[in-house]
Amino acid sequence: MIVHPGVEVTAITTNEARLYLTMRLKTWPNGVPVKVFVLPDEDPLHRRFATAVLGLYPYQLRRVWDRQLFSGTGQAPTAVASEAEMIRRVAATPGALGYVGSVPADAPVRSLEVR
Amino acid sequence: MAVTSRLVPWLLALAAGAAAAGEGRASAWWEQLQGERLQIHGFASVTAVKTSANRFFGDSPDLSWNFIEVAVNASYQLNSRVLFAGQVLARNAGDMYDGTPVLDYGLADVTLDETPTRRLGLRLGRLKNPVGLYNETRDVPFTRPSIFLPQVIYFDKVRNMLLSTDGIMVYGDLYSGHGDLSFTLSAGQPVVDENVEWTLLGADFPGRLRARGLSWVGGLWYSALQERLRLGVSDIISSFSYEPALAPDFGAGRVTFNYLVLSAQYNTEHWTLTSEYGRLPMAYRDFGASFPYHNLPGEGYYLQGTYRVLPTLELMLRYEEGFADRKDRDGTRASSLVGGAVPPGDYFARIWSLGVRWDLNPHVMLRAQYERHQGTYTIAARENDPAALVKDWDLFALQLAVRF
Repeated sequence: MIVHPGVEVTAITTNEARLYLTMRLKTWPNGVPVKVFVLPDEDPLHRRFATAVLGLYPYQLRRVWDRQLFSGTGQAPTAVASEAEMIRRVAATPGALGYVGSVPADAPVRSLEVR
Repeated sequence: MAVTSRLVPWLLALAAGAAAAGEGRASAWWEQLQGERLQIHGFASVTAVKTSANRFFGDSPDLSWNFIEVAVNASYQLNSRVLFAGQVLARNAGDMYDGTPVLDYGLADVTLDETPTRRLGLRLGRLKNPVGLYNETRDVPFTRPSIFLPQVIYFDKVRNMLLSTDGIMVYGDLYSGHGDLSFTLSAGQPVVDENVEWTLLGADFPGRLRARGLSWVGGLWYSALQERLRLGVSDIISSFSYEPALAPDFGAGRVTFNYLVLSAQYNTEHWTLTSEYGRLPMAYRDFGASFPYHNLPGEGYYLQGTYRVLPTLELMLRYEEGFADRKDRDGTRASSLVGGAVPPGDYFARIWSLGVRWDLNPHVMLRAQYERHQGTYTIAARENDPAALVKDWDLFALQLAVRF
């Protein structure tokens, strides 16, 4: 996972990752709002990330987001079209959280370990 | 229906626009329009319904186009603790709803406490009732398992009995390695309409049916194994009083119901198995000697399997049964109470449903559904003359839905 360089956290648990991605945990421990970016549901990297990192199938994530979105009980993450856009948006948005296949050496984002 | 015919071209334009937006490509102008904290979303659907007999969502024996849903919602995350959200829904559903836009929900959500192990909050305003797996988003085609929800639990003839509450809700979550536990408890005024009177009393009588006292809605949910398994119990308790017209028809009676729904769902990569059981005891009091019913212990349940052939192609098979009086499963006793004016088949339903869903892209969905019915318990008295009901009937429906 990747975060905006200003985010102080260096590692989170799988459970925390799941809560951030399902928008049920909305702030970092220091109180800064979390801004989540995701790739489209059918993107192969999104599928890999959802199943391998979160232990959820993409349709389960979609179901949670839609339930929140269409009942007024929460919001959905912001969708980006590509990994390049993911890096650009995460780098430009304080509190941002996202994921890429591998982090380029010169990318203006920080890696976040999930354990 | 004038509203409907004006909506259809817009729907089609919207569908074309969404399709043109292309698969997976987030449109830049839309991202710019939506700020960091504001989200605007919506959906629209149009459905064709054909039945072999009995009217369901309009003149379905002749092919009905009178099932149309259009909604737009907005949510604004003021800060990490406060969220405002609202949705306006226009729904045309046969003779039951004419497509007039209504406030579907409008609320302020305040998070009191939020950590990686727990969450506690309050919601205030018009709230969708979290009853069963589907009630909160029952009008969103993309969140349903089929064009029509299992009717024995999610009656469309009386959706407003369950739909929403104007009031306050407390919600809480506990997260642990063993699973998540969630609860909601709300109190307020149910949002009633004419359909409630039609279904509770059998017709739109000159008097008025009003919510009586507070309505309570509660739910407890457990999910485990990366949300593969979800178990829930939810309940809604409401009471209505009837204010007779000047020329009295019935007494100043009251109806109380306590709707209990047990839910279970298991998810794998390709399969989702879902089952729900609902018990709906209705107690009629003080309506006088001319009113036929006293206690109707309703019951309904279904078992549903969905299979994702591809992430974008899903098949669904479901069997459901429902009874107006679980101790009178063939409806003979209830029918004799009204002197046979309503046939026994109107007090039960046994339904097989087969459905297919195809997501053309993330914004456009096509669905087809076939249902084989025995009994007419799930259809609206408002749309049918009870004497003309046909016990064995089929339904076929096609739906196009778009979202943004």
